[in-house]
Amino acid sequence: MGAAERVKNFLKSKTFTLLCILVAIMAFFWYFSANHSFLSVRNITSILYSMVLFILFSIGVSLLVIFGEFDLSPGYVGTAAGATLATILSGTGIPWFLVMLICLLLGIVFGLINAVLVNKFRVQSFIATLAVGSFLAKGFSYIISGGRAIAIDHPVIDWLASYKLWDVVPVTVIISVALILVYGIVLAKTQFGRSIYLCGGNKEAARLAGLDPKKLSYLLFANSGMLGAMAGVLFASRLKSGNLDGTNSYSFPAVTAVIFGGISFGGGSGNMVGCFLGLLIINAFNNGLTIMRVSPNWTGVASGALLILALTLDYLSNRRVRRQIGGKTS
Amino acid sequence: MEKLLEFKNISKAFPGVQALDNVSFSARGGAVSALLGENGAGKSTLLKILSGDIQPDAGSVCIDGEDRRFASPYQSIKASVSVIYQERQLLGAMNVMENVFLDDLHEKFGIVNRSELKRKTQEIIDIFELPVKPTDIVGRLSVAHQQMIEIMKAYRRGSDIIAFDEPTAPLTDKEIAILFKLIRELKERGKIILYVSHRMAEIFQITDDIIVLKDGQLVTTLRTSGTNERELVKAMVGRDIGDTYSNLKRNEIMGDVLLEVKNLETDYVHDVSFELRRGEVLGFAGLVGAGRTEVMRAVFGADPIISGEIKLEGKPVRFKKPKDAIGSGIALCPEDRKDQGLILGRSIRDNVSIPVLSKLKRGLFMSYRAEEALAAEAVRKYSIRTPSTDKRTVELSGGNQQKTILGRWTSDKMVTKVLILDEPTKGIDVGTKAEVYQMIHDFAATGIGVIFISSELPEVLNVSDNIIVMQNGRVTGRVSRQEATEELVVAMSMLE
Ligand SMILES: Nc1ncnc2c1ncn2[C@@H]1O[C@H](COP(=O)(O)OP(=O)(O)OP(=O)(O)O)[C@@H](O)[C@H]1O
Ligand SMILES: [Mg+2]
Repeated sequence: MGAAERVKNFLKSKTFTLLCILVAIMAFFWYFSANHSFLSVRNITSILYSMVLFILFSIGVSLLVIFGEFDLSPGYVGTAAGATLATILSGTGIPWFLVMLICLLLGIVFGLINAVLVNKFRVQSFIATLAVGSFLAKGFSYIISGGRAIAIDHPVIDWLASYKLWDVVPVTVIISVALILVYGIVLAKTQFGRSIYLCGGNKEAARLAGLDPKKLSYLLFANSGMLGAMAGVLFASRLKSGNLDGTNSYSFPAVTAVIFGGISFGGGSGNMVGCFLGLLIINAFNNGLTIMRVSPNWTGVASGALLILALTLDYLSNRRVRRQIGGKTS
Repeated sequence: MEKLLEFKNISKAFPGVQALDNVSFSARGGAVSALLGENGAGKSTLLKILSGDIQPDAGSVCIDGEDRRFASPYQSIKASVSVIYQERQLLGAMNVMENVFLDDLHEKFGIVNRSELKRKTQEIIDIFELPVKPTDIVGRLSVAHQQMIEIMKAYRRGSDIIAFDEPTAPLTDKEIAILFKLIRELKERGKIILYVSHRMAEIFQITDDIIVLKDGQLVTTLRTSGTNERELVKAMVGRDIGDTYSNLKRNEIMGDVLLEVKNLETDYVHDVSFELRRGEVLGFAGLVGAGRTEVMRAVFGADPIISGEIKLEGKPVRFKKPKDAIGSGIALCPEDRKDQGLILGRSIRDNVSIPVLSKLKRGLFMSYRAEEALAAEAVRKYSIRTPSTDKRTVELSGGNQQKTILGRWTSDKMVTKVLILDEPTKGIDVGTKAEVYQMIHDFAATGIGVIFISSELPEVLNVSDNIIVMQNGRVTGRVSRQEATEELVVAMSMLE
């Protein structure tokens, strides 16, 4: 492929559309924010900080959506993990790293339950994960914590919540960015990542060509559960408490961001760059509205408008491509 | 008045290919006009332009002297044009009657009147002599029956212009005979019929005029009665390829038993036993639904086995999934390229490399160069018509899609002991067919056992060393190539 063609392809890509939206939003808020404070190091860090949990949730969900499945449970799993963390840390003498490991294992177990429902009992993943999340995981949070918030007082948790590299960059930002980078590379460059795309394109054909969609499905659901638990642990450490609502409300926004980032339902397409850009746009936008003191009553509507805009632009840019290939999308 | 369909100076380009270049010809009513050409010559594109599915860059379509430009298939159907596409367009989750009357459901039946719908569908089913019920779910029918339902859809509309794009590719002789009877009847009624096929014998059986395309250009138009196969092939391919079967360099050396299947029992097949030797080309003949595909799927680990024994190189094996079978040296090139073969949204390169991904790595990562080399080799070996290996397979012509799957299963990175080819020549052009036959025997010469399933009798009979005939999920006969005649095999596949 020649350089010219590569440039042409890039200009047609979703990544390019997303970059344009990002630049437009940045420019807008930079220009209109007091003292141009929108692009100050402090504010950029704060945008990244607001993305941390979303990144963790979205990585797992992205992989599943590319694979052709769906996951609505990780937000609830995060809550369960946070409650477990608080309960065990405050009630027993088990060392902190073991406790964290238990939390991650818990996430994996919930993921595997999802996978069993989807693979063995052929439940649609949308329904299965909603049920596992909003009933099983949520119920679990109540049971383990006895139905109340439990405070956490632990030096490691304090460190996790407040340590900043060079006094600027929170450690959780580094963790989340490192994770999405690693997952991005795995997805784009390795055999494992390729298998996800191929199965997402056509599971039966992939199976007959020697891939193992079932195994992959178990792995990806477990992975999504684990990342959800990880996010729940970080959330609890921020609050210094195992809260009963925890990260429940993160499930839908995480999915929205994934779709926003150009990873389409139906599977087989999208990438982590898009996922990251999608998250960045949404969070930068909300941050911009906040520092411009837009009433919170309006931010919901504004985010909705942004989402619609992005989807429309995506449709328009795709229509050009669609016409070229003679009315076929797939 | 005799009807007339004219294509005038049609051109159409896709990124990187000129699919049609200034093509003009006409087709008359009361005659069957064949469209002939190699894979990617532009036949299907021409039919899609006729139906309004895609728009030409230049040129026009005239019906009875009047310029018609259809913006969508909906419009062309309203103007009494029906195109039966190469790829099935059925709704798999719906039943036969809903599919057959799809575009008319609300208009003719208002609030859908099921008993009326059922009765009308049954009438058409009777005309087509099919063993299906109006209420059968289409997705569960065999590929051949699905194809017949696709044809019913068009037949039912009673259009003046009917175009068939490789209708017989998934059919066996029984359905083909019925189809031809119907086509002759439509011809009698003065309809304009366009007919695309890569099976030369059919062209002489059913068509009156022939239009030959090559690389998007019109080569010539002929009367069928005034030409012969050799001349046609030469016009299509651009050179004389001689007689396919007598030019075939056969492998004559057979070794010991490689694969042994004993009393295989699954949901679909019963008490199936056969042996395959090293270097043997074992043909499987039979009608649609005979169970040939199902036997192979079970051996390959794609379908569960109830009982029976499979031995590979003398050792009992039972594969739980295709991955394990491939790991042990069995390759199965599936019959249905759209659902079971290709991942349509991905490139040629991605599709070719799937079974050998682990051999195309550099360290932890996939090696672009190794994948590209593998795909380029497939493109070269099967002369796949494409501007690059980046092209998504959904954008390839039907025959080129088939070649891509063949490329996947016959790449030199595969370590194959048993190569199972299920209808491998479906939709590919005459020139490449000859190359596929040769490839089969070249593989056999290296000690590989090849299983060759085909519904095209001359092909199985001439290419295979031995032939197994199946019917209703059972083996009903086996013959060697020397003994085999078409009559004998047909008789074995229709025993009562
Ligand atoms: N939607 C598309 N996008 C890009 N290229 C296309 C598209 N459809 C067809 N082409 C290209 O146009 C050329 C002609 O394709 P067409 O399907 O008309 O061939 P055909 O004569 O029907 O071949 P076959 O015998 O294999 O069915 C091919 O090179 C094909 O790759
Ligand atoms: Mg075609």
